[in-house]
Amino acid sequence: MKKLLCGLAAVAFLTAAPAVAKDYLIAGVKPNKLVVIDPAARKVDRMIEIPGPGIAPGTIVPSPDGKVAYVVTNRLESISGLDLTTGKEVFRADFATPDVRTKAMFAMEVSPDGKELYVMQSPVKLGLGEYQVQDTRIAVYNTADGVGAKPVRVLNAPRRLVLFAFAKDGKSLWALGWDLYQIDPKTGAILQTHKVLNWERANYSPPDILDVWPQFEQAGVFSTPYFASRTDVPPTDPSAFKTGILTLDLSNGKVDMKDFEDTSVVIFSSVVNPVRKSEVFSVYSQLSKIDAAEGKLVKRIDLPHTYYAINVSADGKELYVGGTMCDIGVHSSDTLDRLAMIEIPGCPDQGIASLRIAKR
Amino acid sequence: MKHLKPINKKATLVEQAVDGGRIEEVVAMQTVVGCAATLDPGWEVDPFGSVAALCAPMEADLYGCSDPCWWPAQVPDTINTYPDWNAKAPSAQNDWRVLQSVFPKK
Repeated sequence: MKKLLCGLAAVAFLTAAPAVAKDYLIAGVKPNKLVVIDPAARKVDRMIEIPGPGIAPGTIVPSPDGKVAYVVTNRLESISGLDLTTGKEVFRADFATPDVRTKAMFAMEVSPDGKELYVMQSPVKLGLGEYQVQDTRIAVYNTADGVGAKPVRVLNAPRRLVLFAFAKDGKSLWALGWDLYQIDPKTGAILQTHKVLNWERANYSPPDILDVWPQFEQAGVFSTPYFASRTDVPPTDPSAFKTGILTLDLSNGKVDMKDFEDTSVVIFSSVVNPVRKSEVFSVYSQLSKIDAAEGKLVKRIDLPHTYYAINVSADGKELYVGGTMCDIGVHSSDTLDRLAMIEIPGCPDQGIASLRIAKR
Repeated sequence: MKHLKPINKKATLVEQAVDGGRIEEVVAMQTVVGCAATLDPGWEVDPFGSVAALCAPMEADLYGCSDPCWWPAQVPDTINTYPDWNAKAPSAQNDWRVLQSVFPKK
């Protein structure tokens, strides 16, 4: 009897257990396609056409349930939401009006409950003989409004916001621009500001950040490289220029900025190891492993060509480098050795399109 | 009887504006309206004043930079004015020979 009960329990467990979600990479290619990649199988799972005119897909944001990916398209003037299984467009927001041209300059994010989409917008009024630059703003859409969606509210926004990341609890939207702002997603009020460009670090110039790639979803920690110069040594001194990593823990709002080397290579974007959060990997023409807590470079290798974007597997063992051309490189996070290369059919360029993880 | 005839685009705009009651909207050009979201070293010269840290190969950077108007490169602006410039060349490294110069429309 005991054996029978155990057997029944085992069967019940197996049939009741939900399928384990698997990691897929979501990339974008010219002129207007999303690419769903199975990194474990090392192959492209499907290519999805983004409806409407397109030059190059921009920022990509997967929905939290992994079913939809939102992508900036149409010369930065529209957002398309595509069902990753059927390929159908399930959401569309077009910004253009007869007198105002509005571009979505990089920053975009979806709320942790998947219900709202936040887009940074830069509008300009098209006059008869001049352009009038308007204030920047964050347009908020209900994802359930589907195709033809209009903003349900518009928030004032500082200029030059290029990256958004929602706090894990959904109560604040972090935005990177000149400084790092914590924004109330309902009202747009700035709850606090972590100074970045306006830092008051003695003997340092203001730091510079060039980063438009959101890659924080595996670790729940936002990261970006920064560059600064010391003003207390002559510019001919190799230690005059510093590279560092900024991290923002999306579960508790803790921000760190720590130098890790005298600037020796350019790095564009970074990703945090989800299983060892002091470990950060960065990419450009080299792949680098950085101990962000200690502030030191651990290892660096040359890549076969420049990549802009980098993401990581859930177990922290594999790194995926993408952006620019038509391939995704797979590397060991331990040795940084290349394990595989996944080529996108037709070899179209990814350009600045994001490289995201969707769990489906 | 009209004695004045517009001979350039701005003058034509003035005429249209007068007819439409929008004369205040036609203003003298104050700055070159170009396509550049930012000015950044990284195309002709890298941040170190050299070329070694530019994107490698150069084609890896072409569309990632020009499509969102990252720098005022000497390529047509696809974001507004010439959206079809690279429509037949989705791979810079393979298709660059297809890319053409563009000329102002009459």
